[in-house]
Amino acid sequence: MIARVVLRIVAWAVMAYLILPLVVIVGASLTATSYLAFPPQGLTLAWYGRMLADTSYVAAFGTSTALALAATAGAVLLALPAALAIARHDFPGKRTLLSLLMSPLVLPHVVLGAALLQYCAALGLMRSFAALLVGHVVIVTPFVLRSVLPQLTPEQRALEEASADLGAGPFETFLLVVLPQIRGGLTSGAIFAFISSWINVELSIFNTTAELTTIPVKLFNYVQYTIDPVIAAVSSITIAVAAVTIVLLDLTVGLHVLSNRR
Amino acid sequence: MTAVLTTTAMPPAATAPTALRRALPLLAAPVAFFVAFFAVPMVVVLSSSLAAGGAPSLANYARVLLDQYHWDVLAVTFRIAALTTLAVTLLGYPLAYYLVRVVSSNALRRSCVILLLLPLFTSNIVRSFGWMILLGRNGLVNDTLVGIGLLERPVRFLGTEMGIVIGLVYILLPFIVLAVGNALATVDPTLEEASADLGASPFTTFWTVTFPLCLPGLIAGVIMVFTLAASAYVTPALLSGGKITVFPMLIFQQYSTVFDVHYGGALSITLLVFTLVLVALAGRIGNGGGDRS
Repeated sequence: MIARVVLRIVAWAVMAYLILPLVVIVGASLTATSYLAFPPQGLTLAWYGRMLADTSYVAAFGTSTALALAATAGAVLLALPAALAIARHDFPGKRTLLSLLMSPLVLPHVVLGAALLQYCAALGLMRSFAALLVGHVVIVTPFVLRSVLPQLTPEQRALEEASADLGAGPFETFLLVVLPQIRGGLTSGAIFAFISSWINVELSIFNTTAELTTIPVKLFNYVQYTIDPVIAAVSSITIAVAAVTIVLLDLTVGLHVLSNRR
Repeated sequence: MTAVLTTTAMPPAATAPTALRRALPLLAAPVAFFVAFFAVPMVVVLSSSLAAGGAPSLANYARVLLDQYHWDVLAVTFRIAALTTLAVTLLGYPLAYYLVRVVSSNALRRSCVILLLLPLFTSNIVRSFGWMILLGRNGLVNDTLVGIGLLERPVRFLGTEMGIVIGLVYILLPFIVLAVGNALATVDPTLEEASADLGASPFTTFWTVTFPLCLPGLIAGVIMVFTLAASAYVTPALLSGGKITVFPMLIFQQYSTVFDVHYGGALSITLLVFTLVLVALAGRIGNGGGDRS
């Protein structure tokens, strides 16, 4: 019984620890003082107005969003055929290929970022949107692959064969039979891919410039020199984006993590 | 199109070359992309690291490995990563257990999962920034500790290894909770009931039934946390206040300000090799533990 009480206390303390910094950022973004204060002293939305008036923030939000959307689309286009090939065919070197496609998950992003800077410089793409995009596609593809692969089961395969037997063409079968069945995995993989690209600093930082920059990189460069409530306001917006993304994930495929149902 | 058609009509036992021929149209784009923008860039780093003055050479590695400074930085980096992993496990395991086994209300568990994902979906920079506010000399943590009399005067967190560990633990905690929690959720509760029916105490049941069954999930989480902690750049950069150097900072300096791709390449490969070796060791020890039970 004592063990249970201790467990409960530890669990709630850890939950509080997880949420505290986010509450502090949102709180500090509302302060009426010109320096960061938590608890906020007075309430104002002035810092959000300052942020919107600064076109460089608006541009960085635009770049981040375009980059994350393009990287997610690229990752889906690469991971989907790869998952089909891996689930359907026993070709030699399958395990090696899967390891190659999954390895960006454990590879230090700083190392990959440095590698892409050097490589894209040689290709004449240094510090361009294309250089950012290829790196982001590489790091987010594993998320889509990881969530689609388990859904391509033998049962799913049988339905696909039935569809072909009934005279459906391969394209029709893919669209009407395969896609609806793997929609859940594809959606959650794509959402994870989007958010991983949207929040990335360590890869992007190598290929961004003062003009072409994503919101996390801009924040990183700013925070190292100045800390003010505008930064807290920008950060709060990214927290809101995270919250919206989670709600989307919950509404589309549901949050099945940690649930006892298998 | 025809290739896709043949795959759907594939006979059960295709020979390896046939299977490869059928998989190839699907694999062409992903493999080409990963070779062009992942494998080749990594090979470029490796080959630059093995060249000095236009000729093949190990001089860059000698420069990295014969300098005591680099060993000191490696030691700091991996000490921070190890402490972070330990703290994350001690804090994350109870929370995962609580959420999966103790919480009976689905709505409560769902809310907790949302709160767990919220930091995970927020940038490292934003989360570290939160700790910069909290851990400052007059931040909430110091104010509270002084206020309740645990401290006589504010202590310095920013610019210490302790501060970096607090930030990294925060960033990496959700990973371990999800890894352990998902493993726990697949353990059949009737196994635990059987153990209790046979007279085992809750503690014995946990230690001999539940814990070994979720060990693979724990190991996967630990490996992920360790590699992420050892390769973290943003959090240490913000919370170190320029006073502590971790290995990824050295890499970043070489590529962003010094532009020495040879020396920078050797640093990158060194970090990569050390991380992979430690991960492989952890996997071995973990698997040994798994077999024993």
